[in-house]
Amino acid sequence: MMFDIAFKNLGARKTRSILCVLVVMVSVYLNGSTATMNNWMYETMTGELARYMGKIYVQQGGSSYPPFDSTIAQATAEEILARTDLGLNREESTPLVFVRTERAMMPFMPARAMVIGVPVGKENALLGSVEAATGVNRFPETAGDVAILGEEAADYYQATVGQEVTINGQKVQVIGVLQPSSMESVNRAAVVPLPVAQRLFRKEGMVSAVLLTASDVNRVTEVATALKQDYPLLQVTTQEDMLAEARKVLRFPLFYMSMMSLTGFIVAVAVIMSTMVMAITERTREIGTLRAIGASRRLVLGMILAEILMLSLLGGIPGTLLSVPMAAVMKTALPTPVQLTRIVLFAAVAGILGGLYPAWRATQVDPLEALRYE
Amino acid sequence: MGNIIETHDLWKVYRMDGVAVEALRGVNLTVEAGAFIALVGPSGSGKSTLLHLLGAMDTPTRGEVRLNGRSLTGMSDAERTRLCCHEVGFVFQTFNLLPTLSALENVEIALRLAGVSRRERHTRAAELLERVGLGGRMGHLPRQLSGGERQRVAVARALANQPALLLADEPTGNLDSATGQAIVGLFRQLNAEGQTIVLVTHNPEVAAQAGRVLRMRDGRIQP
Repeated sequence: MMFDIAFKNLGARKTRSILCVLVVMVSVYLNGSTATMNNWMYETMTGELARYMGKIYVQQGGSSYPPFDSTIAQATAEEILARTDLGLNREESTPLVFVRTERAMMPFMPARAMVIGVPVGKENALLGSVEAATGVNRFPETAGDVAILGEEAADYYQATVGQEVTINGQKVQVIGVLQPSSMESVNRAAVVPLPVAQRLFRKEGMVSAVLLTASDVNRVTEVATALKQDYPLLQVTTQEDMLAEARKVLRFPLFYMSMMSLTGFIVAVAVIMSTMVMAITERTREIGTLRAIGASRRLVLGMILAEILMLSLLGGIPGTLLSVPMAAVMKTALPTPVQLTRIVLFAAVAGILGGLYPAWRATQVDPLEALRYE
Repeated sequence: MGNIIETHDLWKVYRMDGVAVEALRGVNLTVEAGAFIALVGPSGSGKSTLLHLLGAMDTPTRGEVRLNGRSLTGMSDAERTRLCCHEVGFVFQTFNLLPTLSALENVEIALRLAGVSRRERHTRAAELLERVGLGGRMGHLPRQLSGGERQRVAVARALANQPALLLADEPTGNLDSATGQAIVGLFRQLNAEGQTIVLVTHNPEVAAQAGRVLRMRDGRIQP
């Protein structure tokens, strides 16, 4: 393949080549960033739910997760937790209050800020192994109006240990800031003692949900079935149900993102195709001359494909690199070399698909027709 | 010397808007190796068509062309490509240089197509440009060269692979008379060195300098 000639040909039509490269770059960036967004959404959701393996959520009303819209009488929650027939791990079972204090920036994204109320002594059921970055990760036994902030919540409130933050108009003292957690809801939460949450948001006598942990992880389905029978008005959800629900909820945004990516791909293919068809039409005589002085059809095909590959990669490689900062902003895993290669391949495939027709047209140029071309 | 070209009862019929146009009507031609032939005739007489058939750039409707004893009839595309590359050199009226390549690269490309190594093709292309008097303009792009200089580059390119036959279609058609004369002088010099040349021209002054002039009319060579 004559890459040097292909390169000169692209250079001879600078404006057109630059425009084409820019479109490919944007399209590849779009593909890379939507892939990153999709990964992020999926990782966030599955990371969150992985924590609930072997656990059961009991809530009433509302279908969102976290259960902001759910309300259960605290008496009912206590009744469930007191049952001995279910084989519950009491240390890991607790009533919880969830309140969204600021909505997400976009639909389908987790709330930007929230408050979670958890009884003193049951923090482990919610926080698990998340360590404190500063201060403590457990409430003292005589906890007053105190809060443990998730990593992002500390940023949100601009607060450190010892300072006070205002939640729903009332001051609460920060006693700990947590390390980053795989659970996005914990990262964004101000975790306060359950009675404090109930008082701050006027939910006395009410909780949002009951988190139950079966002593025997294999009995989760059995426990869930028993609860559904005994409390038909409550929603009993296992981790598997949550995953299925999460997948259902994610289906639309993932599909939407994929459509954006596909649109970018189609635009890239169309632009490459039109650029090259124009180039081939303009260069009919040039290609005919090459054929007349002994260039085979294969060589002409190679030369045109080399041009197309260059256009794709000149746009594709910077477009791919641009998607790396996007991953950093979204705080998701940076694209791996395999993912980066896949994005570059996306550009190459777009180039080849867009280039096949013009390249084929170039091979069909008859030397004689070309010499007559004016 | 033997014949380099022989044609037997060569016909070429085009279809234009459903009407058959007979561009060649049974042309019989013999060109000896080392000859310098000018094909002259009015527009539409079939001289360019004949030239294209001799160079295997087109296929006859009927009849046969033999180049160095080998029939061009039924050649595959790959064989035709090899022939254009190694055995025939073509000079066009409009020069047909690749605009993005320098004079040197334009000559080199013919050698490149023939599979000549990078070093050798550089040396040979430079020698050829020296020979056509463009030693000092090798790095120039076609747009930086005059018409005469461009045609010299085209001649150097046509000669790159030492073809048995040099075909030229109105090589002076786009040049002023002095420059045209210089190009014809170059052809004469090449012919004197043994190069077989068939040239199509409208210009009687150019034709007069060829060794043999063939007049064409209505698709036939006139006696």
